[in-house]
Amino acid sequence: MPDKPVTYEELTPGYKFPPATYELSAPFVSKYMQAVDGVDAGFVPPLAITACAIAAMTKSVPVPPGTIAIHASQELEFLKLVSVGTTVECHIGVAQKIARGKMNMVILGVEVFAKGGEKVQSGRATIALPT
Amino acid sequence: MEMEKEVKDGQALGPVVRLITQEKIKLYAEASGDFNPIHVDESFAARTPLGGTIAHGMLSLAYVSEMMTSAFGRAWLAGGKLRAKFKEPARPGDTLTISGNVDCIEKGDDVSYANCVFGCHNQKGDIIVTGEAVVKLTDDNK
Repeated sequence: MPDKPVTYEELTPGYKFPPATYELSAPFVSKYMQAVDGVDAGFVPPLAITACAIAAMTKSVPVPPGTIAIHASQELEFLKLVSVGTTVECHIGVAQKIARGKMNMVILGVEVFAKGGEKVQSGRATIALPT
Repeated sequence: MEMEKEVKDGQALGPVVRLITQEKIKLYAEASGDFNPIHVDESFAARTPLGGTIAHGMLSLAYVSEMMTSAFGRAWLAGGKLRAKFKEPARPGDTLTISGNVDCIEKGDDVSYANCVFGCHNQKGDIIVTGEAVVKLTDDNK
């Protein structure tokens, strides 16, 4: 764990954020399904896991003052169906940083592991930070 | 978990139609833990260039996944891949329609893949999300 939060300027490709852990409990799945108008099917929808990972990302990325973070694109691969009650760990790292005129962009890589180390999901998210 | 028994080139996917409300955005924030003020703080969001709150991109993508799950079942849930671009924000009051089709089926010796395209647009016809998805077909739906 870093001693102090990293600043946006300090983010460089290869930087890894501290892993974030989530318990995909029955109440969590139920709340998620209610939010997306879904029907509880007895497993964790892959996008519910991604939702946790994205929340971890948005909390991790230090947004420069006066800037809003906009989710611009998303790539995902679902590797394993996860059962309710599983605890997952989200590993997020900086893949790329782009500055284009008044637009900064950071591309984050994410890998999600179930307890025991089995990878269940991976992806990349592009976060745009217009100034 | 229903699924089509046989997948064909050009096969239509969806549509899934959903109304976005601020209440739904709040529920999604509570479920996901993503309380970015651009989604949940109406007075903050009004002062940004977006002019108001917007739905989480992942909420729109959840509807895409719902459509893919209806078509491909477990093959999508454990083995699906997608690439999505968020083109315009979805806002409270928007009715989103998510639809797509099987663009082509790649047949190999042992395995086939359904390459799909999808889009999400609002009631004004604005494109909110576009993307591609790939599903490894199982014996059930090859």
